[in-house]
Amino acid sequence: MNDNSNTLVVIDDNHPLYEVIKPHFEVRNAKDALASFDTYELIIDLTAMRTKGKIAFLKELSRTTKAEIISDLTLSWGEMVLKECPKISGALSLLFFSPTQKFEYFAKNEHTKNLIVNFLTAINKAGVEHSHLRLGFHYPRAISMIVNEAYFALGENLATKEAIDLAMKNGVNYPMGPIEWGEKIGLKYIIDLLTEYSEITQDPRYRIAQELKMTGKYI
Amino acid sequence: MELKKVIVIGTGTMGQGIAQWFLQQHLDVEMVDSNHDFAKKSHAKILEQLDTLASRGKLSADDVAKFKPRLNVVTLEQVDPNSDLVVEAIIEDLEVKKDLFKKLDELMSDKTIIASNTSSFPITELGKNLRDSRKPNFLGLHFFNPATIMKLVEVINGLETNKDISNEILSWFNSRGKVAVLCADAPGFIVNRVARNFYGESLRAVENYDLKLITEVDLVMREVGGFKMGPFELMDLIGIDVNLSVTESVYKAFFDEPRFKPHRLQKEMVNAQRLGRKSKKGFYLYE
Repeated sequence: MNDNSNTLVVIDDNHPLYEVIKPHFEVRNAKDALASFDTYELIIDLTAMRTKGKIAFLKELSRTTKAEIISDLTLSWGEMVLKECPKISGALSLLFFSPTQKFEYFAKNEHTKNLIVNFLTAINKAGVEHSHLRLGFHYPRAISMIVNEAYFALGENLATKEAIDLAMKNGVNYPMGPIEWGEKIGLKYIIDLLTEYSEITQDPRYRIAQELKMTGKYI
Repeated sequence: MELKKVIVIGTGTMGQGIAQWFLQQHLDVEMVDSNHDFAKKSHAKILEQLDTLASRGKLSADDVAKFKPRLNVVTLEQVDPNSDLVVEAIIEDLEVKKDLFKKLDELMSDKTIIASNTSSFPITELGKNLRDSRKPNFLGLHFFNPATIMKLVEVINGLETNKDISNEILSWFNSRGKVAVLCADAPGFIVNRVARNFYGESLRAVENYDLKLITEVDLVMREVGGFKMGPFELMDLIGIDVNLSVTESVYKAFFDEPRFKPHRLQKEMVNAQRLGRKSKKGFYLYE
């Protein structure tokens, strides 16, 4: 442990970036983080939780530590979490695979921004600032809707998986086909995000394709 | 399947690109437009484009010399009735297209395959007035702009399309460097449907006109998502009115499915004549 020894990363071992982060930072899962009495200056919470669970976790975490906390809010209603957990100084969206290995972040101040940039640099990633966090981060919400639509099309036998991916890559220059993109992100996370948006907004546009639920083994 | 002669009807941007691409496959191409003078101008533009490609070393001078006499402008009445394929690329007007297909049905030999480059109308509906014997030879061939560069061709089966013919066409395109994919006859086909929420969800992330936020969404989608252009930049390039029209068309065709619902900001931009690059004002300013 070197310069990062004052930082704890709360991450479950099934997180897509677990193996990338583990060599660089002290890591603990959510349960162990809450049970810890160690003192860190910075806690980066990368647990994949929807709004309700995230708020409960962050409130408890805030109670047990004096460290600055930055949290991954990919699956949560960002604005609500920040309001309910005022000690959270910044947010990240590291959960969804990025073809460029760049990730969105939100920081309440310059100090937090520097902490986030340093963290991303340490794990060989880069960030793009999201200035005002409302419902959620831009990339996960747009790509989830694109993947969902591809699964609606698949479920209706519009075309094969391969044809859908080829069409989007060769017709509009997408860097990946939506089916392969969804698999890379993890269909569970896409389903979780759309379920969360559906519940928050009550907008039927976030209805999830049956084929996506079936393929993502959502029961 | 062997294609030797193709007729391209409609000589706007798409028609020109399609005609040029077939020409570059060493086929004879006849171009037709309701505005004959416009067709002649399009013909001249293609010849000019071929010269440019030759000067840049992208095509050989020999090939260009061979291509040029194989491209001709004719009237609808003058088309070779024994051509192998007709590709329609006229304006997106259902009745105008249906009338054209009825005329083509009468003009062309029974073996000619007739295809539409429509991006929005159902193929089965477009072929409604064709003779029963023609319907198996009628299908959608949806190219992407610029047709000489973009590899995708959506091959769309109408309800009556002979699947052997669409499969043969698919193989032919794939053997010529295109990426052809089979697709059922549903609104927006693959691309115009699956891409809708690249725009729709980004519009909802912004809600009201806010240049700083628009710029941020574009940056995120390019830098994080790896898209070549952000959704707002792309809408400006396509034309916000064109994008809205496609969205409305898909939305209506799916009987008001909420996933395709247009956003009021698109409408507001169109009402303000902020159509994108072509009006020098869209989500961004171009003056």
